[in-house]
Amino acid sequence: MEKIMSEKKYSEDHEWVTIQNDIATIGISNHAQESLGDIVFIELPEIGKSVKAKDSLCVVESVKAASDIYSPLDGDITEVNKDLENDASIINQDAENNGWIFKIKIHNPDQLNNLMNSDDYNKFLEK
Amino acid sequence: MTELNLNISLNDFHISKGAKMVPFAGYNMPINYKSGIINEHNYVRNHSGVFDVSHMGQILIPINEYNISNLEKFIPLQLKKLKLNKSYYSFILNKKGGIIDDIILSNIILHNSSYFYIVYNASRKKQDEEIFSEFTSQYELLNKNCLFALQGPLSYEVLAKFIKIPNGINFLEFFHTNFNNKTILITRSGYTGEDGFEISIPEEIAEIFLNNLLEDANTILCGLGSRDSLRVEAGLSLYGHELNENITPIEAGLLWAIDKERLKDNFLNGSNHLIRQIDSKLSKKKIGIISVNKSMIREGMSIIDKNKKIIGKVTSGCYSPNLNKSIGLCYINTEFDLNNQLFCEIRNNMELMKETSLPFVKKNYKKNGENNE
Repeated sequence: MEKIMSEKKYSEDHEWVTIQNDIATIGISNHAQESLGDIVFIELPEIGKSVKAKDSLCVVESVKAASDIYSPLDGDITEVNKDLENDASIINQDAENNGWIFKIKIHNPDQLNNLMNSDDYNKFLEK
Repeated sequence: MTELNLNISLNDFHISKGAKMVPFAGYNMPINYKSGIINEHNYVRNHSGVFDVSHMGQILIPINEYNISNLEKFIPLQLKKLKLNKSYYSFILNKKGGIIDDIILSNIILHNSSYFYIVYNASRKKQDEEIFSEFTSQYELLNKNCLFALQGPLSYEVLAKFIKIPNGINFLEFFHTNFNNKTILITRSGYTGEDGFEISIPEEIAEIFLNNLLEDANTILCGLGSRDSLRVEAGLSLYGHELNENITPIEAGLLWAIDKERLKDNFLNGSNHLIRQIDSKLSKKKIGIISVNKSMIREGMSIIDKNKKIIGKVTSGCYSPNLNKSIGLCYINTEFDLNNQLFCEIRNNMELMKETSLPFVKKNYKKNGENNE
């Protein structure tokens, strides 16, 4: 059985992605969660919806402001993190693991090349 | 080019304490510290927190015939009849009765002279100070004084550890005392709905004073983020949101803050218009709303009826940690029947709202003359 687990990649919009086979798990980076502050509510995307990279998919509301979450890749939404509906602050506590937001079945694995690895993302943040 | 923001005196101190600084009313101000807005909010509701609000304007105006008669044109109080060491929530009004600013005015004696001590909004300094400079004489701007707001149910005991608080000081009462051989001005007041003290202190001793407060484990530094959610929960209006030059105190639901005798006085700006408003039906009124679901109410959103007709506008919206819901203040057309469903338009969706009486969270002011109970 083919099982490919990629390293974690980051977008310039501060989403992270991990890939297992053709399913991408997506959330917001720890840096993004820190700058948003206390997150109190999330509007999760619809399962089954087709998305394009850079589409605004859902909204996180922190005490300060509403922020759009973009899909870093093309695909179809297969799963959303229902735990966040009851407690969106999981993103503050653990943005890059338990705070995952949605999963998509990806259409175009080559798009992963457009994303940064963690070293490059850290350099991007320093700019 | 964007205008350069000013730093408050303790700017570096706040940064060293982990403050996230944001521009606000022309100043770089702490919005929150490391523990975050919700924790700071809850700390003020349950213990105490200290806000550096040194961006606000402070002035001492000598009490004399000339200054009283000129100020009474703008301020709807009987300035001759104010009680000593009392503080009053009031306004500076324009000719139409619109609100140039909302202020706290205290009637005080300092070094054997009588003064009005006025605290006013940072965002209105220019307008207010133009009026003070044109219409009053020998005033002193306290722009080398910091202003701290110590707020929360434990404020009294935190402050009393190193400041002697006179017996029987109630909410909206003033005293002054010495700290490190300098005079500090204290009113029992604040804008969070909690008991507390606002302390005006010369900047050279301000950091020592703040460190004294923070030595107490019951106090943490708080920023403007939690100050806003606390004041919205308390149903309190904020200039630039619920209040502006086109809104009168009557429309803002603040008639209680106007001395009724002054409304009969033609000399008071807008008095005729204000009386007419009291006697007639207003076109809009201020209400509180709670979001039934989890969606967040934000300033500027439209309030709509079930047919999507716009019936009002949100002037303040935030997450309420005490209610675990989003809450908002808004102005709504009085012709709308509040027995009908009302909605807030949030990202093109109609989100159901519930109208509620203000405040959202009960105020906890000290009025009974006792010190700490």
